[in-house]
Amino acid sequence: MRIRAIALNTFSGLLRNKIIILFCAGIVCILLLMLTPLLVIRNGRGAQNAEMMQMAVLPLIASMMQLVSGFGSLLAAWAAADVISSEMRSGTVLAVLARPVRRWEFLLGKFLGVQLMMLIFVVLMLGLNYLLAWIGGATIQTTPWVLIVYPLVRYMVYSALGILLVTMMHPILAFCIVLVVMIASSLVAPGNPQSFMPDWLRTGIFYVLPSSNLLSETRFLTITRATLRAAVWTDHVTALTYGLDYALVCFLLAAWIFHSRSLSRD
Amino acid sequence: MSAVIEFQHVTKVYQRLFSEEKLAALSDVSFEMAPGQVCAFLGPNGAGKTTSISMLMGFFFPTSGQIRVFGRPPGDLASKQQIGFLPENFAFHKFLTAPKLLRFHLQLAGRNPNNAGSLIADLLNKVKLNGFEKLKIGKYSRGMVQRIGIAQALLCDPKLIVLDEPTSGLDPAGRREVLQLLTQLKAEGKTIFLSSHILPEVEQIADHVIIINRGRMVRSGSLRELLTSDGRVEILADRVPDDLRQSVLRDAVVEPGPNGVRVLVDPARKRQAVEALWAAGCDVIAMTPQRNTLEELFLKEVDAPGGAQ
Repeated sequence: MRIRAIALNTFSGLLRNKIIILFCAGIVCILLLMLTPLLVIRNGRGAQNAEMMQMAVLPLIASMMQLVSGFGSLLAAWAAADVISSEMRSGTVLAVLARPVRRWEFLLGKFLGVQLMMLIFVVLMLGLNYLLAWIGGATIQTTPWVLIVYPLVRYMVYSALGILLVTMMHPILAFCIVLVVMIASSLVAPGNPQSFMPDWLRTGIFYVLPSSNLLSETRFLTITRATLRAAVWTDHVTALTYGLDYALVCFLLAAWIFHSRSLSRD
Repeated sequence: MSAVIEFQHVTKVYQRLFSEEKLAALSDVSFEMAPGQVCAFLGPNGAGKTTSISMLMGFFFPTSGQIRVFGRPPGDLASKQQIGFLPENFAFHKFLTAPKLLRFHLQLAGRNPNNAGSLIADLLNKVKLNGFEKLKIGKYSRGMVQRIGIAQALLCDPKLIVLDEPTSGLDPAGRREVLQLLTQLKAEGKTIFLSSHILPEVEQIADHVIIINRGRMVRSGSLRELLTSDGRVEILADRVPDDLRQSVLRDAVVEPGPNGVRVLVDPARKRQAVEALWAAGCDVIAMTPQRNTLEELFLKEVDAPGGAQ
């Protein structure tokens, strides 16, 4: 009951968070701008336009998905860092933890509140992808669970990482570190051809940082053909377990640090 | 009866990460608070009051020493069930209304908020916030915020109420209402641990006083004892002969006043002084025990050598 109350209260707060509203407004503007050429081509007539449409729509969806996916990870990290730090900054944490609430319950409630917001984000973005495909006259032939569960697990990893970092430092610094982690993890991903890093460093970083690549739904989605690449169930289980495990370790570390830190108005 | 709050040789030292510099916020503070008492925890700014309260609530951890609340360590869930807490400058979730905030706190306390309509209405009525149920707390004045803070502290009928500056931000009428509320809670047998700077008000309700200064406990005891311990007796006479000033009244303060001569003597010597005055043919008009105010006592303690800087 306590965790649920904190989660729902966090979710209500996030829906009113000006920075997050601004973030989301920004991404909607970018998506609308990307949509403009698609609509221009769609409104044209003739065989050439139809061919251009076919060529344009699926790569556009692919790039939009990547944008939304990257943005979602940053949003998850920022939201998680902000919900903890804003409670510390305002001092509301003192009134909450004066109640019979354990510190890890407080963190878990905050974490779940963020996941609730990210679930809505994922569902909205999934709807947007289907809408785009419909505008382009294509269909995304996949089972939707991959497009929901994979991003959610990835967002769990980044929000747990955000919570872990913000228990030790300022939220902006925590967010910057998450950003660096995201970039570094994409640089060391197995499919990336970059070679400026020695192999031992690349492998080391690959094992330490969360693998966004492994947890990417686009790994299973052949975007240009809008079909789900066949993957054995063990592949899904391994990837998702890895993600959940990474998130759990980050959360447990955060709970351990938060348990022993002094709580005062920052 | 076991103590509600126990501080045993509690010391808190702040030290920055990667720094040798240390700041002792609290040094070897020990006290106990019995059930049903109203204890005023006093001290100038930076004396260590909020640090002590934070440790009492389990937000900070003592560097050494031991704190027990209802016989358990601070932060223990069973003891927190029995505590109502109002932090200094109470902060809130601005997007909530007062009933929603109280429902949220009821859920945090593990209680069902669905049947709490009348409880919430009673509490809002008690702190004079009825009629503002639909207003978001972000739109409240400072005084209203303080009142909703008091309401949330009283929410689950706590046995111990910890209030850090409960009248801060309130106008005189609001302060009087809080004082009346505290008097009522005292009559109900609640234990109240109170930190405040408004000493005349504290003096009206406190049973026990603890004064700390620069992290050290400088005075502790029952309010009555503290206010009368170094009080003198004032004797008002029509005149005082010079020979008495040199003999019986040589340790007394003798000063002329508008209605006669004022003689301040030690309580142990009041009988001797009065008898000497009668024997010398003087008229003793009045005899009144002098009582310090809490403010005088407080200023005396914090202004003492080695006191506040």
